[in-house]
Amino acid sequence: MKVSLFATCLVDTFQTNVGKATVEILERLGCEIEFPRSQVCCGQPAYNSGHIEKAKEPMKKMIDTFLHAEVIVTPSGSCATMFKEYPHVFKDDPLYAEKAQIVADKTYELTDFIVNVLKVEDVGASFNHKITYHPSCHMTRLLGVKDAPYTLLNNVKGLEFVPLPYSYNCCGFGGTFSVKMGNISEQMVDEKVDSAIETEAEYLVGADGGCLMNIGGRMHRRGEKIKAIHIAEILNQIV
Amino acid sequence: MIQNRTPFLNKISASLNRTEINAQPPVKEWQHRPVEKKLSHLTSDELMPAFIEQCGVLKNTTIVEVEAAQAMKEIDAAVQKFGGQSVALWDDERLTALGIEQLTTSKWIDEGMAVHIWDSALGRTENFERTNASNIGIAYAEYALAESGTVVLYSAEGQGKAVGLLPNVFIAIVKKSTLLPRMTQAASKIKEDFANTQLLPAAVDFISGPSNSADIEMDLVVGVHGPIFAHYIVLSDQ
Amino acid sequence: MAIKYNDEAFKDNVNTNLERDFMRGAVTAAQNKLHGGRLKAVEELGDWEEWRNHGEEIRQHVLNNLDYYLNQLAENVEKAGGHVFFAQTADEATAYVQSVVKKKNATRVLKSKSMVTEEISLNEALEEIGCSVLETDLGEYILQLDDHDKPSHIVAPSVHKNRFQIKEVFVAKLGYPEDGSADAKDLARFVRTILREDYMKAEVGITGCNFAIADSGSISLVTNEGNAGLVTTIPETHIAVMGMERLVPSMEELEVLVNMLTRSAVGQKLTSYVNIITGPKRSEDVDGPEDFHLVILDNGRSDILAGEFKSVLQCIRCAACVNVCPVYRHIGGHSYNSIYSGPIGAVLTPLLAGYDDFKELPYASSLCGACTDACPVKIPLHQLLLKHRQVIVEKEGRAPVSEGLMMKGFSVGASSSTLFNVGTKIAATVMKPLSKDNMISKGVGPLKDWTDIRDFPIVEREKLRDWFDKREKKGGKSNDSK
Repeated sequence: MKVSLFATCLVDTFQTNVGKATVEILERLGCEIEFPRSQVCCGQPAYNSGHIEKAKEPMKKMIDTFLHAEVIVTPSGSCATMFKEYPHVFKDDPLYAEKAQIVADKTYELTDFIVNVLKVEDVGASFNHKITYHPSCHMTRLLGVKDAPYTLLNNVKGLEFVPLPYSYNCCGFGGTFSVKMGNISEQMVDEKVDSAIETEAEYLVGADGGCLMNIGGRMHRRGEKIKAIHIAEILNQIV
Repeated sequence: MIQNRTPFLNKISASLNRTEINAQPPVKEWQHRPVEKKLSHLTSDELMPAFIEQCGVLKNTTIVEVEAAQAMKEIDAAVQKFGGQSVALWDDERLTALGIEQLTTSKWIDEGMAVHIWDSALGRTENFERTNASNIGIAYAEYALAESGTVVLYSAEGQGKAVGLLPNVFIAIVKKSTLLPRMTQAASKIKEDFANTQLLPAAVDFISGPSNSADIEMDLVVGVHGPIFAHYIVLSDQ
Repeated sequence: MAIKYNDEAFKDNVNTNLERDFMRGAVTAAQNKLHGGRLKAVEELGDWEEWRNHGEEIRQHVLNNLDYYLNQLAENVEKAGGHVFFAQTADEATAYVQSVVKKKNATRVLKSKSMVTEEISLNEALEEIGCSVLETDLGEYILQLDDHDKPSHIVAPSVHKNRFQIKEVFVAKLGYPEDGSADAKDLARFVRTILREDYMKAEVGITGCNFAIADSGSISLVTNEGNAGLVTTIPETHIAVMGMERLVPSMEELEVLVNMLTRSAVGQKLTSYVNIITGPKRSEDVDGPEDFHLVILDNGRSDILAGEFKSVLQCIRCAACVNVCPVYRHIGGHSYNSIYSGPIGAVLTPLLAGYDDFKELPYASSLCGACTDACPVKIPLHQLLLKHRQVIVEKEGRAPVSEGLMMKGFSVGASSSTLFNVGTKIAATVMKPLSKDNMISKGVGPLKDWTDIRDFPIVEREKLRDWFDKREKKGGKSNDSK
């Protein structure tokens, strides 16, 4: 299967290891990966701040970029959700309504793609560490991908999984919310970090770069030992 | 009297993009009907265990099942168990038919208990005061709902609402044949009961256990305004 | 008390409340308890998504036929012997209630909890004409005693207080013994004795209305305490006030919504009391009101009905969204500065009371969607918050100038892959000197707000796309990332 990688800004720029891991995992599972060079940001930062019209330019660019892909895979539940929203954003646009739907229909979040499209539950990874998992809000509630990450983690050899208390609570990222409402966001991320520490895990695993940057950044600021890590980085640990 | 109706409703019609109210009643075409599946297949015999179980979930809620012939003995036992002293009860033919008079006119009087039978001749204040002074209130329920541990009361001349609200203990008598799965069935029964007049009683009360509140630290505590205990006596052969 | 609580800015209210450790502890504990209770009740019901779909279609059907059903309701209330007053505004509603109370020469008014009467400041209006107004819901009663503290939750108004604080209020205001227990049961029993006297003397009972029933002309009241039962049994006059959208076609739909309300609000299959009241008492009845008045309030709702926020009127006031909101969890209800708090408040308050005072509320959300997920009638709350942001930015032009410029830059930069590429590379060069073990702790410019709270990763020297390019040139496909 030919996969067009929707890398996301964060992965392309800050978390390249997540992107590399994504490419390598999918290749190992028999996919051919394409990196469409014209991809930009999905528009979510502007969209979620209410600047819908301004968000439409990068969105159109993304639709044009991915229109002819066979499937689109991204290592971010939140950015995948944004693609799924495109048909709603462009519903009254004669040029883009249909194209937006086409793009949305073939977009998958990475773990969902592995489990539900490739039908693979064990990617053959090993990771001899204790971990906990934070289910990101957009991925679980809006995209509806709930079980796939757990399924994959469950089959990682040597991995010890500890459930995260209050896992359903948002980590406080919320895009621009994290800076606009910084003091509230701080309380939310602190509670998330506290919950993670309570599990005594070495890693808090997530499937969304934004949340991980927020939680990991706060952990680092507080000088905590626990690290935030993307699920792709674990699934790519092949001995 | 209805005041200010026309301009008010016209504004709503305008908001809904029409000039006036549709003449035809709206058609309800539900695409989803989860209610039809919930508990509806159970018979009253199967419902009884569910009803008992739910009463166990409710705080300070007890239930006994007796044959009608034993009802008076059971009511008396319940009254004694909850401390006796004073009883307020509905003026209700169904209680009379069970033989309530042997308690209200002799046994309880002989034992020195104060008995107040709801009395329309006495007026509001007197009825309220006597009921408020009563430890126990006894009413007769039209229906019971298994799922939620509920009894359904209708207000009427002899059926003062205050009897179920003011005393410390609320006792409801209910026939097993009127035990329904849940509120779904009660809603249609109530509709049937008043199909002739098209007018519901002034009050239809669904009561599930005693008065309680979770307003202090979400901690459910009983007896904040009304009864502290609820006790249901189910007549197994009626 | 009207919708708005004080004149402070949103940020100041938030800062004040973030300092209130007691409140935050109480709210967090309450949320955790309610979360578990709701999930259990929902699971027990089974087919929850079907119930939600049904709840949604009922509410939408009612809104789409609101004129018809309100007319039917009014006629049936009249048939049952009651009076109906349609009030366009809060002032019309309070003036009518004042006139009814005056006509009765009544001064002792008892209330059972009602958000809509808070919305129209009914208590103040009645106090103005010399009435004593007593709230009977335990939570409201506590707040009223505590020098009119404000509700911080639409179902559990005093959730921001713990039992020790409540005990202190009782000691100070009711003479509760100082060495008395702070057990919720003991506190509640104490109130029971005191309130009982007030019930017996009350002349007018005022209630809200959870749902009116159009085809029978009834109103329904859902309580655990039974206070609504007493308030509608003992006083000679009953005045019910309802928001115009709060009705159902018949008892069949009432049943569905009440079940969803009680499960969503408090995790109960049914509350202890659901009272269905149809008109005043019949002539042969002894108790119940001699007179029944139903006040139906618009107060901005018909404008909402016509617009893109219509679905907010589906709300059944269960507060499930409040109970799952992580923002509410930390800032508490008072930060919203409105009787309607949490996600539903952040959507509804700006609609009812305007953006001038409340334009920050739609931003008080990480758009995590927990509210939308919890709503029993499927109001897309997080989408409505987003819609507010769009209106604030694009229709009202109220976005901060700096944000407008940033987003303009975003639009240009992000939609050109060359600019996007170059821009992110420049960032790598600029950011490197600021960092320590590849994390930045003291950001400048737009980064400062981020690094005030958390560290920020530095931009990778080699972007993913460059890595991919190189790899393709080499023939690719080696696991060379480690």
